[in-house]
Amino acid sequence: MVVCYLAHCLLNANAKVDEGARCAGISVPVLRMLRERGATIRQMPCPELAFGGTRRFWAVREQYDTPAYRAHCRRLAEPVAAQVRADLAAGARVVIIGIDGSPSMGVELTAADDTWGGRPDKPHDEDYPVTPGAGLFIETLRGLLGESVKAVHAVGIGQDLFDYDEERELAKLGRVVAGEAERGAR
Amino acid sequence: MRGDGRSRRVAVVPDAYLNPAAGAPDRLAELAGAGWGVVALPQPGLAPDLEKAALAAVADQLAAFLDDGYEVALAEPDDPAAQRLDELLAAAGRRIGAGVAP
Repeated sequence: MVVCYLAHCLLNANAKVDEGARCAGISVPVLRMLRERGATIRQMPCPELAFGGTRRFWAVREQYDTPAYRAHCRRLAEPVAAQVRADLAAGARVVIIGIDGSPSMGVELTAADDTWGGRPDKPHDEDYPVTPGAGLFIETLRGLLGESVKAVHAVGIGQDLFDYDEERELAKLGRVVAGEAERGAR
Repeated sequence: MRGDGRSRRVAVVPDAYLNPAAGAPDRLAELAGAGWGVVALPQPGLAPDLEKAALAAVADQLAAFLDDGYEVALAEPDDPAAQRLDELLAAAGRRIGAGVAP
């Protein structure tokens, strides 16, 4: 069995910032891909939604990286980590699906820039400062998983990237989920 | 810039919507077709303290939607986890409706 922990917004684009949603609500191509592969679906919380609300501006890691936001991420990530550990203990393969380019949910790519702050006049698209690294929630979740993190496959879908290529990203996700399903069947 | 594509409609759904039993209708796909986003309730069988923490996270997120006037509805109001969520939100002075007709 493969259990996929999805970034909240993949099932609820209402959690995205204004102009950040790539669909009205549920990402149908992602859902279809997971259904085709027989994955169990779990939804992670959106740390930015509960912290900044629906009217928040887009931001980079440095703007969220405060003790209060890290504590908030930890409070949300603790039950997720406990569920991941329980799934692993039950013999499941676990895949965490984040959002590459996100300051919170990025897995391989986040958004970071020391100069962001003050008047919110930064463009969201081609100048969005994507950098290698994880977002704050994913970083916190990985830390809470401790040794169990080695048994978890984390992958990001690049919905927060300017050059998002849905076909390419879905193919990447599909390979990861199928690969974990294959390992679980051995 | 893509404009604001958010539907502003959020359905609170049980785990059975995310993971339907074999042969059961795919309610999640139906909601997707109608433009709803979903917030999933904790799956059955969690330890009480774990479910409590997960429900608290759900309530925090729903409060953000409710406070900004989004349509929020319980897909299965009789679900036990939905009822516990309803109590949690009521204690915080918030109510959500029932029913997710397209």
